[in-house]
Amino acid sequence: MRVKLKAGRDKRKFIERIEELSGENVFACYQCGRCSAGCPMASEMDLLPNQIIRLVQMGLEEEVLRSKTLFLCASCFTCESRCPKGIDMARVMEAVRHILDPKGKDAFGPGEISPELAKELPQQVMVSIFRKFAK
Amino acid sequence: MKLHYYPGCTLKQKTTALDISTREAMRRLDIELVEPEGWTCCGAEYPLTEEKIVGLAAPIRTLRQVREEGGDVVVTTCSFCYSVLKRANKAIQDDPLKRKRVNAYLRDDIQIDPLTKERTTGFADYNGEVKVLHLLEYLRDTVGYPRIRERITRDFRGLPVAAYYGCRLLRPQKEMAFDEPDSPHIFEDFLEAVGCAAVDYPFKQECCGSYLSVSLPDAATEASYRVLRSAKMSGAKAITVTCPLCFYNLDHRQEVIKAAYLDFSGLPVLFFSQILAWALGVDKKLLGLGEHTVPADSVFSETPATEVRS
Amino acid sequence: MTAPLSAKNKEKRIGLFVCHCGVNISSVVDVEKVAQVLKDYPGVTISTDYVYMCSDPGQQMIIDTIKEKHLDGIIIAACSPTLHEKTFQEAARLAGLNPYQIEIANIREGDSWVHTDKEKATKKAIKIVKSHVAKARQNENLDPIKVDVNRRALVIGGGVSGLQAAMDIADHGYEVLLVEKNPSIGGKMIQLSETFPTLDCSQCILTPKMVEVSRHPRIKLLTYHEVESVSGFVGNFKVRIKKKPRYVDEKLCNLCGECEKVCPQVVPDEFNQGLSFRKAIYMPFPQAIPGTFTLDAEHCLGLNPVRCGKCKDVCDKKAIDYDMKETIVEEEVGAIVVATGFDLYTMQALGEYGGEKYLDVVNGLEFERILSASGPTGGEVRRPSDGKVPKSIVFVQCSGSRDTEKHMPYCSKICCMYTAKHAMMYRHKVPDGQATVFYIDVRAGGKSFDEFYMRTVEEDKVLYIRGKVSKIFKEGDKLIVWGVDTLTGKKVEVEADMVVLAMAMVKADGVQDLLKKLKIATDIHGFLAEAHPKLRPVESLNAGFFLAGCAHGPKDIPETVAQASAAAAKVGDLFAQKELIHEPTVVPVNDELCSGCGICITMCPYSARTLDPDRGVVVVNEILCEGCGACAAACPSGAAQQRNQTDNQIFSMLRAMLRE
Repeated sequence: MRVKLKAGRDKRKFIERIEELSGENVFACYQCGRCSAGCPMASEMDLLPNQIIRLVQMGLEEEVLRSKTLFLCASCFTCESRCPKGIDMARVMEAVRHILDPKGKDAFGPGEISPELAKELPQQVMVSIFRKFAK
Repeated sequence: MKLHYYPGCTLKQKTTALDISTREAMRRLDIELVEPEGWTCCGAEYPLTEEKIVGLAAPIRTLRQVREEGGDVVVTTCSFCYSVLKRANKAIQDDPLKRKRVNAYLRDDIQIDPLTKERTTGFADYNGEVKVLHLLEYLRDTVGYPRIRERITRDFRGLPVAAYYGCRLLRPQKEMAFDEPDSPHIFEDFLEAVGCAAVDYPFKQECCGSYLSVSLPDAATEASYRVLRSAKMSGAKAITVTCPLCFYNLDHRQEVIKAAYLDFSGLPVLFFSQILAWALGVDKKLLGLGEHTVPADSVFSETPATEVRS
Repeated sequence: MTAPLSAKNKEKRIGLFVCHCGVNISSVVDVEKVAQVLKDYPGVTISTDYVYMCSDPGQQMIIDTIKEKHLDGIIIAACSPTLHEKTFQEAARLAGLNPYQIEIANIREGDSWVHTDKEKATKKAIKIVKSHVAKARQNENLDPIKVDVNRRALVIGGGVSGLQAAMDIADHGYEVLLVEKNPSIGGKMIQLSETFPTLDCSQCILTPKMVEVSRHPRIKLLTYHEVESVSGFVGNFKVRIKKKPRYVDEKLCNLCGECEKVCPQVVPDEFNQGLSFRKAIYMPFPQAIPGTFTLDAEHCLGLNPVRCGKCKDVCDKKAIDYDMKETIVEEEVGAIVVATGFDLYTMQALGEYGGEKYLDVVNGLEFERILSASGPTGGEVRRPSDGKVPKSIVFVQCSGSRDTEKHMPYCSKICCMYTAKHAMMYRHKVPDGQATVFYIDVRAGGKSFDEFYMRTVEEDKVLYIRGKVSKIFKEGDKLIVWGVDTLTGKKVEVEADMVVLAMAMVKADGVQDLLKKLKIATDIHGFLAEAHPKLRPVESLNAGFFLAGCAHGPKDIPETVAQASAAAAKVGDLFAQKELIHEPTVVPVNDELCSGCGICITMCPYSARTLDPDRGVVVVNEILCEGCGACAAACPSGAAQQRNQTDNQIFSMLRAMLRE
């Protein structure tokens, strides 16, 4: 099926919201793909980081929001350090996670860590992952 | 002398080896580490969206406390704490709106006088007065690597060791300003200063898998394997870290890694502070080597334990 | 000579002409109102508006009105004086009015283009125009200053652009001095292997030009020379040129090469980009011009027979002279072509690509040497580390270009084409080799360029991957390249034996001091700035200076040659003038007011002012004075007054503007 590109306020609203939350100009991206080339988790992703930003540019909100990629980002900032246009992709990812349905399911919640594992894990890992992936 | 030190939650609970060896090493350099009164968890993640201002409250409250106690520098060792404190501090320095909003939120904190138990409110605004440094930066710039060299009493005799930076120390460079993200050397220079031979290997700034360790263990296993393998291929006899999470992924995960990747036969993982403490003559018992999954004793016994200098 | 201060004895008859500039001005400024309000302003005889003042009918209207109303001062309220001041001065001249009685009131760039509120913009326009009326009432008739032209040109730089410019100017019939800092002419082009898109051998097409230049009767070739300083002005420059000691008499040297054989000092060879070695006494390459050996004093054991002296002992011709000294040559020229070339961005700046660490990661120019028949491998593709023939080469375009964050924000323009050429030539020389090119966009806009690129892909089966490389590192014997194919969305890893980085083209490092001394305008990247990006592309903003080649920005050989010829033609234009006209709006000194304090001398950037020790006053060389006014602003006594820009005039303008 052909993807119909929207115009007008709805599309603009989504893009503007991402830009406002992330503080990044997503239109600065010229799709060189360097973020994806260096991403340690890219092989696990259904959409590469540069594809996420491309879909944001096109205003394809639903496709972005349902991508698994959002929960595969380790916030290692390799993409940020390599981007020739100075876009912090980790911020764009965070902005997309921010606008996910607040009533939706946690991508990764406290229930998924067994008490045995919790005993062994460094505190910071739990604080980090719930901050990133839970509501 | 006294120096403010923010250990962070992991060091107080799980990874005491990093905390204890750091304190012991610093004591040998005549520096007593003091924790700011009533510090809390930094939040582990610096808030990456413009609207999550509340995530700045915890780190800024701690930094303000350092200032209230007369400190102008605070050091940390954990890469996550370092990242959050340093970035939050910079945000407060650079962004007037964030500064205003965070201070408005924190102004009415209650302060209890430890002696009189009198409760007061009304803190002066925090404007980023405290300098956040990683202990490595402090060692390099304030103590000075040459001075550390002078204080060394045990010699690693050129033991080849890999410095592992991981993600948070270096990036984003504009905020962390720790070192060049693609050709860092502060950690290697440290290792050389304490008598090791720093090994150059291409994965020193690659990610270990970080918190995906719990949600996507296989990916973290692979990421950590690649780091360890690269260090080992370059001739390292041990790999050093500054972060408890890197330590968890590289050390605790090694049994799983070895089972998944048969070409890998194991590599001891050390904290930089253990290396420093031992070189400065701290008793091996105080290095917390019992917390390691991969036995690390060999690193410290391969070299003669006799003191090379009194 | 001192200009009389304002002549208020006779009230002037001033005409005001307000331009609509289509709608450029009139959509924001109420031009009719401006003309209307000014009708009754003191001194204004006639005030009118018109849609395009610069058009033929517009100018005719001005000419007719001047004659009809006997006007002796004119205000044109229109665009910036940089655009049409000359046009209207010429119209005034045709009407019999002194051109310096023309005032341009800028109500476009300074008003309508930067404002939106019509009422306020109109008010501002009225104030601007009033201030110019106040000034025009005190303008004097002025006559241009005339200067002779020295019809000799200096060309700085002996690369292909300098060679072409020198030859063209000489062919126009003028004398040329060609200064090159290296021991030989030839520049970067002589280092290239083949050239795109025709695969002509670079040396084969350049060496005839080099020979021609060296034999041209009107070209004086000064290799191993450096321009020290330039003073003077267009048509009359004085140049000091440093002659570096070669320690070899080029007239005596017969190229026997015995000196090179005995020299014990081994140095990385610049001509081969450090991929091979030369001796301290050397000839840069076999076709070097002039054909002579040069002794590189920096690497010589000491220019001292006691310490070494082997080369001197072995030279039958007695051509070697350790006592040669640096000397200064002084020359006079009328025009200067700056063709100082470019450099490649350092690989050190891209730590993630490992160019500093790994011998087999090379830049484009190094690969040119590896491909070249005169290169260190005799034209066989062999990698620097161990001399093996690489079975897989990865080419990385945009290395340091198009990066607004850390490196160069611009496109280096030639890398797409030379990378295609590199990949093609590699495939020709190593038929079983794999060539992989990482690119962001392929920009192949020149004549026959796209066809060449397509041939690389279709016939030579070079794999083009659309994505920027993130990291290059070594594992065992292989270089691992991490990239992405953005077309399929796949993260890719390529094992390579060698990597070629198409590094960004940047300003030439070694000439920045010289450019500063020339006071020639550069852009934010350190490339030479042209006087106008569209209409004056080969002239500098500094009169008498012309630009050629990559000193002005990245460009390929045909474009460089075209620009060099254009610069030469512009030099020809200048030399065809009988005499040069210098603006008379200079800053003379009123001897009676000058105390000889000399503040103006320190302010003057053109060295136009000196102290007359006998009379204790400052004297001005009006030819050198560019009328910038720095001295007038600094003069504490008011002795320095710029013609038609006197303190009185400026105060009158301020009063007119500030009065409601």
